[in-house]
Amino acid sequence: MEMEYAVELKNVTKSYKKKTSLDLKAEFDYKKEKIHGRLPMSKDFKKKPALDHLTVAFPTGQVTGLLGPNGAGKSTLLKMLVGLVHQDEGTISVFGQSPSWRNNGEIAYLPDRGRWYALQTVAEALAYAEVIFPAFDLDLARKMADSMDLDPAAQVSTLSKGLEARLNLILCLARRVRLILLDEPFSGIDLVSRDKITQNIIDSMLDLPKTIIICTHEIHEAESIFEHVVFLDKGQMVLAGNAEQLRAEKGSIESVYRELFQ
Amino acid sequence: MTINEETLNLRLDLSKPLYEQILHQIRYAMARKDLELGAKLPSVRELAQQLRVNPNTVMRAYQELNRDELIETRRGQGTFITTKPQKIQHIRDNLATEAINSFIDTMQELGMSRQTALSLLEEGKW
Repeated sequence: MEMEYAVELKNVTKSYKKKTSLDLKAEFDYKKEKIHGRLPMSKDFKKKPALDHLTVAFPTGQVTGLLGPNGAGKSTLLKMLVGLVHQDEGTISVFGQSPSWRNNGEIAYLPDRGRWYALQTVAEALAYAEVIFPAFDLDLARKMADSMDLDPAAQVSTLSKGLEARLNLILCLARRVRLILLDEPFSGIDLVSRDKITQNIIDSMLDLPKTIIICTHEIHEAESIFEHVVFLDKGQMVLAGNAEQLRAEKGSIESVYRELFQ
Repeated sequence: MTINEETLNLRLDLSKPLYEQILHQIRYAMARKDLELGAKLPSVRELAQQLRVNPNTVMRAYQELNRDELIETRRGQGTFITTKPQKIQHIRDNLATEAINSFIDTMQELGMSRQTALSLLEEGKW
């Protein structure tokens, strides 16, 4: 059976111009040594690329786990798919087109550490989302809020971390779109909220055929809903494949991760 | 009669293919006659929610059981265990043959004769 890919990256490279505090410290330490004459030659302090000639594809209609340690390039990849970050080299195709705001009506993106307007209530947030997000299903969102025990009258600023995460997820999953990108939907969230989030992801898969990409460090929590898995490290792909096949050959996705990165 | 998720009592191990485990456990429950003929199975959604697996995984297992005519899906009503006892008998025989064949393979690998294997089987605890 020929596999179709909703998202394809070919030879994509991206370097951030801005240096991180770690880069700056390394540079500073080096210069200090050089002044004391202990190091002879100059060194190139160009930033390591976030994505380094990355070629990878995400199957249509499946849930893919995008896994890897911090700094692997996972968030950068998702941001590129919605046009928030542009590649230096290579090509990206989302449903056959390069990322741009024109396609974003088809994509729901949950950013890592995303926040919502603090002064709105949950009910207001949902109503506002209907106005600003294409294909937002307000009825579905209200049902989800109810099943996730979100009080419509509660103000966003008063929500606990777990409840705010539930709200952010609803704002994504209640959109009738073809592609859903979730960056760390489980991080820093209590067990019950995680369960609710997983349940809602499962429900939304049944609702409409869609492609979902989930970045997460909580592999144990999420791996049973993955159909495909992509492992990234230092901006490159180290392994990708069907989740069930990987289980048959190597064991749980969590153990494969450990083997790759430990 | 409806079979709920507790009666099915599926236990999944994340280190093995999930689809195979669901299929295996339902087949064995049928062979043991734990699941009544004609009883209604949980929907794909219910089972996926309870096991916290991808609905496509459950769907694949149900499709395979459908192909073997062990279950049937009635439009708008749900998925039911077959009403034909001979289908259950058939799967039971097949699973038993499979188990025996794998037993024989292991005994041969150990260099056991048929005679020794049989007497060991006699001595074994049931």
